[in-house]
Amino acid sequence: MELVESRRFVTPESTSRRDFLKLMVGVLSALVAAAVAVPLIGAIIGPSFRTKKSQWVKAGDISSLAIEQPVNLKFPFKTQDAYVRETVTQDVWVIKHSSSEVTVFSPICPHLGCHYNWHPDGNEFICPCHGSVYALTGKVLGGPAPRPLDTLPWKLEKDQLFVEWETFKVGIPQKIRT
Amino acid sequence: MPSKIIRWINDRWPLDAVIRWSLEEEMPGGASYAYVFGSAVLLIFLLQVITGLWQLLYFVPTIDRGYGSLNYLRTEIPFGWLIHGLHYWGASAMIVLVGLHISQVYIWGAYKNPRQLTWLIGVGNLLLTLALGFSGPVLPWDERGYWEAEVATSSAGTVPLLGTLARNLLQGGPLLGQMTLSRFFFLHVAILPAILILFIVLHLVAFRKFGISGPWDEAKRKRTGFFWPDQVFQDAAVVTSVFVVLVGLAAYMRAPFSGPLDTLQTFYVPKPEWYFLFFYQTLKAFHGVLEPIGTIGIPLIVTLLFVFLPFYDPSPERNPGRRPVAMICFFIFIAWVITMAFVGYYSNPAASIAGNSGPATAGIQTVSSSPGDPSAQILTAAKRGSQLVNSLGCIACHRVNGRGGTLGPELTGAILKGKSRPWLITQIRNPKAHFPNSIMPAFSSLTNQQVNDVVDFLLNISQGGKVSPAPITKAPPPTPKPAGTAPGAALSAAVVTGSQGPPGPASFVIGNVELGEYLFKQNCEQCHGVGGKDKVPNPGSTDGTVPPLNPIDSTLSNKNAQTFVNNIDPYIQHGSIPAGLNPVLHMLPFGDSKSLTQQMITNVEAYVLHLNGVDRAQLIHPGMEPHLFFWLVVIAFGVVLGGFWFWKGGAR
Repeated sequence: MELVESRRFVTPESTSRRDFLKLMVGVLSALVAAAVAVPLIGAIIGPSFRTKKSQWVKAGDISSLAIEQPVNLKFPFKTQDAYVRETVTQDVWVIKHSSSEVTVFSPICPHLGCHYNWHPDGNEFICPCHGSVYALTGKVLGGPAPRPLDTLPWKLEKDQLFVEWETFKVGIPQKIRT
Repeated sequence: MPSKIIRWINDRWPLDAVIRWSLEEEMPGGASYAYVFGSAVLLIFLLQVITGLWQLLYFVPTIDRGYGSLNYLRTEIPFGWLIHGLHYWGASAMIVLVGLHISQVYIWGAYKNPRQLTWLIGVGNLLLTLALGFSGPVLPWDERGYWEAEVATSSAGTVPLLGTLARNLLQGGPLLGQMTLSRFFFLHVAILPAILILFIVLHLVAFRKFGISGPWDEAKRKRTGFFWPDQVFQDAAVVTSVFVVLVGLAAYMRAPFSGPLDTLQTFYVPKPEWYFLFFYQTLKAFHGVLEPIGTIGIPLIVTLLFVFLPFYDPSPERNPGRRPVAMICFFIFIAWVITMAFVGYYSNPAASIAGNSGPATAGIQTVSSSPGDPSAQILTAAKRGSQLVNSLGCIACHRVNGRGGTLGPELTGAILKGKSRPWLITQIRNPKAHFPNSIMPAFSSLTNQQVNDVVDFLLNISQGGKVSPAPITKAPPPTPKPAGTAPGAALSAAVVTGSQGPPGPASFVIGNVELGEYLFKQNCEQCHGVGGKDKVPNPGSTDGTVPPLNPIDSTLSNKNAQTFVNNIDPYIQHGSIPAGLNPVLHMLPFGDSKSLTQQMITNVEAYVLHLNGVDRAQLIHPGMEPHLFFWLVVIAFGVVLGGFWFWKGGAR
């Protein structure tokens, strides 16, 4: 046995044993590496492709709003971003047509996600970032916007407006939820 | 082609030489399983680095979000349970392996000439490993981490002369807080690992320079073996086994969820990780002026004994049989560590059982010392007190002016006669101070003003005053709710919502079941029965009994832990009045009255879910079921090792 182990007396048998040990080291290392790598990759992919659920939220009282005048309604909104829960102030553009009929626009410009403003003198919405212009109906009047303003689902309970808050992919002609 | 690339690299960087240097070595006496521990420590440290880095993707070191972000990783990120579990158990494994490694070196006498410097660097590695093992558990800033930081910084504060300086430097200020957490985080993820990596390299260089010391027996040393692949295979086999064990521990023995930090939970017994228990227990022997001996003196002496070992033991004799003093010292040290660790583990400091929140006597004089007509002041205070007696739920148990429950004594003039203001304040703040077996909840979180108002009301009764409490039905004021919108609105007749609101902050945090059980016994058991099982009578309610919690009403129960908590949280926060003509017992508004903190409610909720077979910390996105993952790993390694034994048998 002593001779077999010694470097000067390497026999074919000891060579095959050593090769086998090398193979075993490789296989064990590969198995551990795989058992570690799969979870690590899984943890990175983790939340990357999760979609956010839309949420119904009370936007405010519309009884006092003027007809066919866009109003920026601000309301508290409980958000959950991973482990961060907080109440933020969110806004929507509301155009009241009658006591039972409104249009609700997401405040996010469908071009590249800026927040646009209402310009009463021109009767149009203008996005300050890249100059997209929209009509009161949300129709694109000019600028780079690829689609009209995004409407949000709404419902009225007495005069209380509830809005389903959701966001859409920007920069494309289709209205697709993020 | 690959050989061309390797040659190209070798012409520019000594790849082959480095590999040869790290692997090619003749070992006196041949490979042995006694030598695996150093490699094992190295590879488990590598695992700690990787799992530690990955935790940084999700964990944030802030006092308000640390625990929540860690729990998000552990329950909502695929394999987060495994990454955290491997890191948690890997820390213990690393300490065990370092201990075995250093024991082996000691028994083999491998620290002797010319390896003194290798030993010294190794002692540095031991200290760094312990420092990492200490700073890590602080980071979530939960019930456990906070107290660990408290003990660490307080110990530093006992250093003679430099104590305050040391403590403030470690805390990053005069008090524990965000700066403290940031410092522990900085140490744990940056400074300590960086120094440890440097020390490991220095240790390996020194190790390679002199090789292994091998057997002490000269005859055995003549036979030589190879590091590669003989020793490396044995290393790999052991490390792989340790890895499989760690996966098993992560899958079957989850690290505890110690609950959010709440310094008011004085019944929590802070204890260090198992590897510091011996030190924790030893510290208890030193009191008063002797305390620095325990906190600083003993660790310093033990460290110095380690550091200077090769210098006060310079004899070249390595055979343990001929080193009786060294061996006796070794076994005394091991016996001390193990004995103290066990004593520490089973110790139960008496202070933890008292549950003493401390009576708040400050502010007693605020009412009577107010300007204006004192009697009128007290009367208004007594009126406020009478409303509080309703809204805090006192009359759920106590009969007051002909209304209320019978669980506690009726609050009549007779029973209150002669009771002083401080006595009544203590009775409200901490009933057990007067009656150790009292089941009355400690209303420790009320403001001094509130307590004084209630006491004014009670004193008024004792003096025959006629301030009657507000009618029972008016408090808490019921808020009409649209059907089906409030959580738990569709309840059975047993409970009708009182002043219900949305779930409070407690409902989004993972509580600790054991702390919840303790709180349940203190605050809930008298009405909901032992373990939530009994049917405690509630005369005047439609059901006739208090709704049991085990099992809980099926409309509240849910397999999803978050939904379950959202259903029960409003009751604990805001209380409720059972349906019926005149129910004696009400559910108290534990959150609104501040008689339980949000953290305590979190723990109670974890316990109530536990009673109903739902894990508050249930895995939402496990990636793969932990048990399944473990068995897949076991099978994969089993097939490989089985093949190995099969081959070995065939080779013979």
